[in-house]
Amino acid sequence: MASSLTVANLDAGYGAVRVLEDVSLRVGAGETVALLGTNGNGKSTLMKSVMGIVRPSAGSIAAEIDGTTYELVGRSTEDIVDLGIAFVPEGRRLFPKLTVSENLLLGAFRPTARTSIARNMDFCFETFPRLKERARQLAGSMSGGEQQMLALARALMSAPRMLLIDEPSVGLAPLLVSRTIDKIKELKTGYDLTVLMAEQNFTQAIRIADRGYVIVHGRIAFAGESAEALNNNDMIREFYLGA
Amino acid sequence: MSASLDLLINALVSGLLLGGFYAAVSIGIAIAFGMLDIVNIAHPAFILLGSYVAFIGNSVFGIDPILATLIALPAFYALGMLAYQVYYVAFERRDDQSLRGLSFFFGLLFITEVTLVLTFGVDYRLVKASYIGPSLNLGLFDLPLRLLVPFLVSMAMVVGLQLFLSHTFVGRAIQAVAQDQQALRLMAANPIKIKRIAFGLSIGTAALAGAFLIIIQPVEPSIGREYIGRVFAICVLGGLGSFPGMVIAAITLGVAESLTATFLGPSWAPAVAFGILLVTLAVRPSGILGR
Repeated sequence: MASSLTVANLDAGYGAVRVLEDVSLRVGAGETVALLGTNGNGKSTLMKSVMGIVRPSAGSIAAEIDGTTYELVGRSTEDIVDLGIAFVPEGRRLFPKLTVSENLLLGAFRPTARTSIARNMDFCFETFPRLKERARQLAGSMSGGEQQMLALARALMSAPRMLLIDEPSVGLAPLLVSRTIDKIKELKTGYDLTVLMAEQNFTQAIRIADRGYVIVHGRIAFAGESAEALNNNDMIREFYLGA
Repeated sequence: MSASLDLLINALVSGLLLGGFYAAVSIGIAIAFGMLDIVNIAHPAFILLGSYVAFIGNSVFGIDPILATLIALPAFYALGMLAYQVYYVAFERRDDQSLRGLSFFFGLLFITEVTLVLTFGVDYRLVKASYIGPSLNLGLFDLPLRLLVPFLVSMAMVVGLQLFLSHTFVGRAIQAVAQDQQALRLMAANPIKIKRIAFGLSIGTAALAGAFLIIIQPVEPSIGREYIGRVFAICVLGGLGSFPGMVIAAITLGVAESLTATFLGPSWAPAVAFGILLVTLAVRPSGILGR
């Protein structure tokens, strides 16, 4: 069953500061869509609006989960997660004083996820063998790369239909960035997920994205219908490749 | 020589049993302060409330004091949820909890105390039960039943709560809620609901601790204040958020106080207890089993 996300004419901001203006985008069922742009252009605000962390001032966010459409604006974060939309926030936001396995089990708090804990746990440990080795270690004592793996695995424990990832590459060494991006692709395929990923690292993000949006000063500046279209776009060359 | 060895063993045993009682008194603070970051200094007042529930159950209805508070447990749980809800709406939601929240609980402490004084007067009250009075003589030492029964029930309560916290979804969420409230929402859990449940449990433990208190000693409304410093010391000493650490700290304090009281005189007991706290924190700032 397919799940998709449609954002229409979204305005959002913090107090009097308007961050997003008339943003519309779509993540089709089974797609991996990249949300590209440098720091401070509104990627995180868009993600947070979808997750109910930031209240949009106008527009709508509709999620279709397994055939039913839900309006997300006005719902609480926990309700949105409960619908089957998992979020890996920037900075990972693990529970540092709980162990790796306690963090994973908290990921499965959602009632729908509780029946498939053993299967999801096996899948996480298969995908991230490191986490199995460190199952009893405190999350806060792990390296940045391991923490990013745990954050992804914890999101998967909620048995989501859709996965939103904010800046998975932040704070990671280049080799770990490409490994993380590979893992996201692996999870997406293994779990039949719809993925929206915000990322500054254009070259890495584009490796696994089907399509992408470039967001500049809170507006969608370019919608690339394919990875090649993004690769060949002048604006992107200017932003990322300095040409 | 043998007389003082006898004294030593008996002091150790009664200290250990006293520690079990301290654990029951402290576990509510270990939840509220250690896991929820709520400085509930009114906790001893709730314990006193438990003592008087045990007193009424025992003197009016003739039932066992511990059983009386077990029957009242749902009411204490609800009272705790209500107290947290008021605290949340009035302070925590506005990010105003540090000082004003403290005065809220200080106010709660006094209101409860005054209500108890007006209702029951300032006379010492006590309860009757078959295990108050007799001791088990085990040759080397005596086991006073009035300390042994609270010790056993207290340990059962600690173990039960520990299992709840580590083996249930709500329990794990309680352990996580103070670390990152927003992240808990991303786990599909409502942190306010989780805290309400946890605070309800915290006040629930006060009911039982109140029964233990009135079994161990006669009670008057302001006696709870004696315990404020001690329970926070136990929680910090054990390591915030750790029940096993809290139990070790409670027993350490119980034994230290009992030994000091036996060999140096009761007035030295608090000094030794807090001396242990200071030394431990100098060596292990996060407490005995703090993470």
